[in-house]
Amino acid sequence: MPVIHVRMDNRLIHGQILVSWNAEFRIDHIIVTNDQVAADPLQVTLLKAVAPIGAKVSVLSIKDCVAYCNGNPEAEKENIFIIAKYPEDGLALVENGLKMPVLNLGNQAFVRGSKKISNTVYLTESGVKALKKLHEMGIRITCRMMPPDPDTEYWPTIEKTLPEWAK
Amino acid sequence: MIVCHGEMAEGMLDAARMIVGKQDGIVAVNLREEDSVESLMDRIAAAIEEVDHGDGVLILVDVFGASPFNASARLAVQRDQIEVISGVSLPMLLELAVQREGQSLTKLVEVAREAGMSGIRTLSETLDKKPVEQ
Repeated sequence: MPVIHVRMDNRLIHGQILVSWNAEFRIDHIIVTNDQVAADPLQVTLLKAVAPIGAKVSVLSIKDCVAYCNGNPEAEKENIFIIAKYPEDGLALVENGLKMPVLNLGNQAFVRGSKKISNTVYLTESGVKALKKLHEMGIRITCRMMPPDPDTEYWPTIEKTLPEWAK
Repeated sequence: MIVCHGEMAEGMLDAARMIVGKQDGIVAVNLREEDSVESLMDRIAAAIEEVDHGDGVLILVDVFGASPFNASARLAVQRDQIEVISGVSLPMLLELAVQREGQSLTKLVEVAREAGMSGIRTLSETLDKKPVEQ
């Protein structure tokens, strides 16, 4: 399977991914996917310029990301690490046809309207709703900043911490 | 300006103070666990306002491609006279502290690069010994 990991991380490509996750997976191709980021030429240029690990970097809209992973023969030969910016992007990937049994929550820094789950994860109501849909589709949500973090199902923690949004 | 993960930037500034004394015009910005790139950019932008008197700002970051670098880069590409250099070390910072007065930004980048590189030495090569066999 070409896509080895999907991480929802609003810091996009950063130190943990370049150092820890790359050591774990030997990433060939990092795909950053979020429609706004993909439409911002400045962010696209920087993201492509500064990943130093030798992996190919693409910044794609959700639709283009799914189309590449599901239909491009190149993708079959790669270890692809997808970074979706928000939980809503993770849901959109699945709704557009990306087949993944597990989606991992990475850093979700505070944004306006979000509530704290842990030091590194703040979720908005719409983010929680997106994760709930994924959970109901039978997709496992994990919350691993680094590879050694436990692979346990994270939805119960979200449900317990933010019951007002999870119901 | 120094921008690093955790409290490294403040720690470096503190360490530099022990060797070259208190430095005006050098500020530390810490990346905290709960930061987004955007929230870090806000603090870096505020720090630029604080230290830039028109001659530009050199931003020293820890890891190339990591969030302190990325946030600095997104600000730097939108303005003139800001450069970002990765691999900050105490030797690099000390050399800049003593040489920065009256120097251009371009010159300081060279000073930083040279000091960072030449700050890495082993005892063996210094004593002209062969490394001990494993």
